[in-house]
Amino acid sequence: MTLAQALLAFIVLAPGVVFAVLALLWQAGWSPSERILNRITGLTFSACAFAFVILLWKLPSGAKSVVVAFGNWFAVGDYHFPLVLLADRLSLPFLGMTVMLSGLIGQFSATYLHRERGFLRFFLLLHLFAFGSLLAFAAGSFDLLAGGWELVGITSVLLIAFFHARPAPVENALRVLAIYRASDMGLLVGIFALHHWAGTASFDHGLPALADAHAVIVCLLFLLAAAGKAAQVPFSGWLPRAMEGPTPSSAIFYGAISIHAGAYLLLRMQPILAQSPTASGLVILLGVLTAVHGTITGRASADAKTSLAYASLTQLGVVFVEIGFGWTNLAVAHILGHAFVRTLQFLRAPSMLHDFHQMHSAAGGAFARTGQHWEALFPERAQLWLYRWAFDRGHLDTILERSVIDPLMGLSNLFAALDRIGADKPVRQRANLPLPLENKPVVGASQ
Amino acid sequence: MTGTAFFLTASAIVVPWLAAILVATYDRQARPIGFAASLVSALASALVLHATPAAQSLNESLMLLFSCLAAGATLVLPRRDCTAGNIGGILFVLGSTLLAYSTGNLLVFLCAWILSTLPFFLARWLRPGTWRPGAALLVSSTALAASLALMAADAHAISISSLQGRSPGGKAAFALLVVAVIFRKGICPAHAWVADAVEGGSSVPTALLLNGHFGALLVAKLIVPLFPDTARTVFPVLSYLAIVTTLYIAIRALNENSPRRMLAFLALSQSACILAGLESRTVEGIAGALVHWFVVTASTMGLFGVLRLLEVRFGGNLTANRHHGLAEHAPRLAVFFAVFGFALVGLPGTLSFCSQDLLIHGTLVSHPLTGLLLPIATAMNAVSFFRLFTRLFLGRRRTGFTVMADALPRERWILTAAVLFVVVGGLFPNAIVARRTAEAHTVEQALRTPLRGPVAR
Repeated sequence: MTLAQALLAFIVLAPGVVFAVLALLWQAGWSPSERILNRITGLTFSACAFAFVILLWKLPSGAKSVVVAFGNWFAVGDYHFPLVLLADRLSLPFLGMTVMLSGLIGQFSATYLHRERGFLRFFLLLHLFAFGSLLAFAAGSFDLLAGGWELVGITSVLLIAFFHARPAPVENALRVLAIYRASDMGLLVGIFALHHWAGTASFDHGLPALADAHAVIVCLLFLLAAAGKAAQVPFSGWLPRAMEGPTPSSAIFYGAISIHAGAYLLLRMQPILAQSPTASGLVILLGVLTAVHGTITGRASADAKTSLAYASLTQLGVVFVEIGFGWTNLAVAHILGHAFVRTLQFLRAPSMLHDFHQMHSAAGGAFARTGQHWEALFPERAQLWLYRWAFDRGHLDTILERSVIDPLMGLSNLFAALDRIGADKPVRQRANLPLPLENKPVVGASQ
Repeated sequence: MTGTAFFLTASAIVVPWLAAILVATYDRQARPIGFAASLVSALASALVLHATPAAQSLNESLMLLFSCLAAGATLVLPRRDCTAGNIGGILFVLGSTLLAYSTGNLLVFLCAWILSTLPFFLARWLRPGTWRPGAALLVSSTALAASLALMAADAHAISISSLQGRSPGGKAAFALLVVAVIFRKGICPAHAWVADAVEGGSSVPTALLLNGHFGALLVAKLIVPLFPDTARTVFPVLSYLAIVTTLYIAIRALNENSPRRMLAFLALSQSACILAGLESRTVEGIAGALVHWFVVTASTMGLFGVLRLLEVRFGGNLTANRHHGLAEHAPRLAVFFAVFGFALVGLPGTLSFCSQDLLIHGTLVSHPLTGLLLPIATAMNAVSFFRLFTRLFLGRRRTGFTVMADALPRERWILTAAVLFVVVGGLFPNAIVARRTAEAHTVEQALRTPLRGPVAR
């Protein structure tokens, strides 16, 4: 193993190992103090950042990528799950961004979450999230990418429910999990389709060749996964709900890393996407719809974090458009710039009023007039309609509830009624307990 | 089977039975006796497994797994459940299940099948308060008995090895076997008894009975080797039923409020995948099903164990109607519950990620359209599980009592062992997957074996 390969393996594995060790020690009864936890986190991400710089420096000149092959994770017959890490022109910026922002968020959170009851839980999840993201961005196959992808999803959900004493964050976490799982099916089935048609889902030696029809199907499946993760229309409803988590996690997940994982997936499969004009067109359409939806809805948002979430959504829509047109370098640059700026905005969001007052006094109380937006050019009826539409976040949640959740719950109720036929009385009585409103598991979620 | 292997197998079976009798007559020290007997079974099974070639080690692996589960169950049972009835029932189920796994004789298999259900008919042991579990177990036993009678009458032999590939008893015997599988495994429409059994009876021993997976065993042990030709043509029907069951139960679980019933549904839905994989007729699918068998068994036992501990500590009226906020009182139990639950639905880093990957791959190869239902069902199960987790553990800190114990050291270590199995197994799955692959090749070969011709009359 060369130095570059060892460094790549270290960068990806270090947060995972720290998570595992801390979790095991906690399970054995040890609870580290905030100071120790802060130092461990700082040391981990500093080491990763240092390793990343050395990796860039030691990258063989002219070499397009660093590949670390650990063999097969498991293999059955012709089917195998390759454990390959890859750092190339696409993944390196994402790896660097993840390492830097995770370390930064770790340092910020040490103060922000001081004496918070879930301090240890937050840091454990931060390490697990960093491991999942690094695994997804450094994966040399879609199989491994899916592993990191799922870890990012689950940590995201657990952090949304971080303040679990209130029911709203918990119910919102449930809703986000439901959307993640529904869209992740696209990734799973897409990977299966790649194995089936191309014989492999690895891309460490380039993407496998596919027939045009197959390429369209794979692209559409991956687009489903990417749209779910990146909160594109019609899945956008989960993003404001995700703001229930602590601000540092909102910053790193929905301003920077997790929200861009969908775009990374599309960038990774760009050659296949370019093969299919239908899929590319759909990516552009989704991007445009999301950008418009984000910008309109964000204007009617009452709180800072939700406004920022919709601003992220707008930018992400534009990134999708760039990917659809095949402007890969522009999309990567856009993602990097957006991630850093948005993280800063999210982290400053709790002090927004303070910042405003400072600027206001610095400007001598003479701010330029605001509110002269383009929407003022619309007729009044259209403005009212737009406002209603934006206030209800494009009615996306209502559409999802009426078209998917309600029929599913109706079916579930029907099956429950069928089960009760012939059941003993105690079972019937228990099953007929009146269901309070909060029982509607996903439908009742509200921000 | 060599003399030593026979002795070890017999020890693994007889020691729990003797211990069950001992517990029934001398009802003090039930837990130590139960644990010691299960441990002897586990050690004997491990030695037998060590001496068996990988390709023929399915039964021995299952013996080891089940005896470890029984040992874990005796340790994790709360003190109030450590009665002679519960421990005796667990030991009796253990001996009978190991007998079913190890035997190569149809008559003995039938006896083991019936004996394993016996504790669930006796009020002194584990009888649930509702009629459906008893009826389902009775129907499955009757169907199996009738099928074996047809086979014996047709082939004049009761040894499984001598009947291999001969389709004894014809389609009638095959159909009766399928009925036995449907009722014992809780395949739709005969699924309701499973939730009734878990809710109405003692949950941990009932989970142990369900985790014997006798339905899947019947498929792997009798249906595939004895009826390869019929299986090739009729198997898809059972496979579709299994896949439909997975989805049906996953939808059914979405609005369930009883934690016990919800866990029963999740276990049922995920274990129906085992049948779908076994019938996929691909090495990947079969290997995935066998690995999944191990994961589902360990995870569901862990989940039922943690739930029972919660019921004992916080009262039996837990419901998914509202948030209970138990994580504040029992954070370690919350973590165990979360890990077992996510392991059940395929979280990366757990063994079920590998098993589901293989299962979905194998099932999609053989049934591209119906196979799509499997990931959909798994996604719904994940949502249902997370809903249960949030309702039990998250929410405002519960008041009304002062101090509540988190996992006690005894419970903590045994639950940690189970968590390590699913997590370390998931991080380094090759050891488990390779052995299951060898067994999967054997099952797949049996499905490919041409018919030997009509049974000699």
